[in-house]
Amino acid sequence: MRISQPSGKAGLIALCGAILCLTGCNDGSGDPRAQIGANPSLPPLQQYLFPPMHIARVVGWKQGEKPDAAKGLKIQALATGLQHPRSLYVLPNGDVLVVESKAPQAPSPKRPKDIVMNYIESWATSGGNTGPSNRITLLRDPSGADGAAKTQSVFLDHLSSPFGVALVGNDLYVANTDAIVRYPYNSGDTKITAPGTVLTKLPGGPIDHHWTKSLVASPDNSLLYVGVGSNSNITENGMEAEHNRADILEVDRATGRFRIFASGLRNPTGLAFEPQSGALWAVVNERDELGPDLVPDYLTSVKDGGFYGWPYSYFGQHLDPRVQPQRPDLVAKAIVPDYSLSSHVAPLGLAFSTGTSLPENYRNGAFVGEHGSWNRSVLNGYKVTFVPFSNGHPSGMAQDVVTGFLNGNNEARGRPVGLAIDKSGALLIADDVGNTVWRVTPSGEQVTQR
Amino acid sequence: MANDLVRTGGLRSTARIATHPIHPMLVGVPIVCFIGALITDIVYAVTAEMMWANFSAWLLVVGFIIGVLAAIAGLIDFLSNRRIRERTPAWFHLLGNLAVLVLAFFNILVHTRDAYTSVVPTGLILSIVTVLILPITGWLGWSMVYRYGVGVAR
Repeated sequence: MRISQPSGKAGLIALCGAILCLTGCNDGSGDPRAQIGANPSLPPLQQYLFPPMHIARVVGWKQGEKPDAAKGLKIQALATGLQHPRSLYVLPNGDVLVVESKAPQAPSPKRPKDIVMNYIESWATSGGNTGPSNRITLLRDPSGADGAAKTQSVFLDHLSSPFGVALVGNDLYVANTDAIVRYPYNSGDTKITAPGTVLTKLPGGPIDHHWTKSLVASPDNSLLYVGVGSNSNITENGMEAEHNRADILEVDRATGRFRIFASGLRNPTGLAFEPQSGALWAVVNERDELGPDLVPDYLTSVKDGGFYGWPYSYFGQHLDPRVQPQRPDLVAKAIVPDYSLSSHVAPLGLAFSTGTSLPENYRNGAFVGEHGSWNRSVLNGYKVTFVPFSNGHPSGMAQDVVTGFLNGNNEARGRPVGLAIDKSGALLIADDVGNTVWRVTPSGEQVTQR
Repeated sequence: MANDLVRTGGLRSTARIATHPIHPMLVGVPIVCFIGALITDIVYAVTAEMMWANFSAWLLVVGFIIGVLAAIAGLIDFLSNRRIRERTPAWFHLLGNLAVLVLAFFNILVHTRDAYTSVVPTGLILSIVTVLILPITGWLGWSMVYRYGVGVAR
């Protein structure tokens, strides 16, 4: 979803809140757990006059507050005072890059709804507009007081709504919203001042509805894969705005030429290679406004040339009546995603457990950062979950790993986004509303100097 | 005052600017907007080009807002003058245009849906019904002015 400038007009918020509650306090949604796994129950689609909406009001973390980690785990703040941290990348020497990023400028409204929705969505980040963003901060050495990083400094500044980072040899690639840019990096560097070189442009403004470009290098380092989200919920900005979007692009690192690797993925992020099978996986945000339990967001392997439904259909051959003209030829070959995460949880982070030091039950699987719902009245997501894998495929029910991003009044103290496993094997969580990077370790672990 | 009553045949408009009634100044806007929205809805239904559906959404919102203002001016005239209320067409004019505004309100909500179902079929049906009511209520409105001389200085 687009996240724009917050604004503090309390009266209008109260009025809109009353309208939302009037229409959405009981949306008839079912148990989200029934929609987790390979065969989610899919209710009939609904169309609304007022779609159910509930955005957790942002309150932030008070002094000493932190999320709740599952049994056997401990959570501490690795870094605080960040500016909308959205994704994480661990360098070979153990330094952690925190990508701090804000949405590009909102386009001019195409219709009255855009004005209303931009305003409503601005509530979701009202903690995050306190200073400069669109930069990468470097964290080093998690042995400070209470597990905080000893070094926290600006690594790379003046970026354009960045999200993905990938290092290949001495080439550091940053996926801005409109281009992949390459920078020279040497092990131990704490700041990059060299100007970047554009490897390839990516679909960006002026609409740029889904703007986060997830990035990963192929295991043989010759290719980059970049996730490009759709330019709309469901083609309401016209099909011509969707050129090269809702796709995963495969970019040749040597020339910058790209091809569409897979398509029909509405907003693919968290691109990562599953360690056992070597397959590319992603988490995908599915479409809104068809009901509180439609459409489930998902975790899936991504096949070369695969088509995953958007916009014409979801979860295989379930047609979306909002798309015209339809494409039965594409719908017929739409692939059913591997693993449903349940509806509107907004997964934006994915990290396979490779190298984790967390207890045995977290050793084979995928951590998923669920940013949290707006399009249902009973909140869903707002947590980090673990999907167990065996033989390279999901093998059981997702478990909650880190919760408590919402307080008892369903107000957002934080919202998890990007994830990473650091060099010591701890799980790192970027919290773009709490402006914190959290570090999850086994609860018995002593904080040790690396 | 008495002089004024004589000059307007007792059917003086209350919501007026320098003897000119406000209601007829405003009613043209919603009429044109709602007819325009029907046309752009039809073009969208045929072409599936989002631009036309966006035109419809703007036309409906503007038509509704100015329509509400026109209704307020009309209601003031209606409620503050017993002699206007005694004219039968005034009641049907009021009820018909109330229906138009209610339909337009729901049509705005339908048009907030994304892409094709923001128009087809519900939005298009609401636009058609809205526009079918307009000539009837318009006819009644003209009766009020041209036949009974509501708001007309004599």
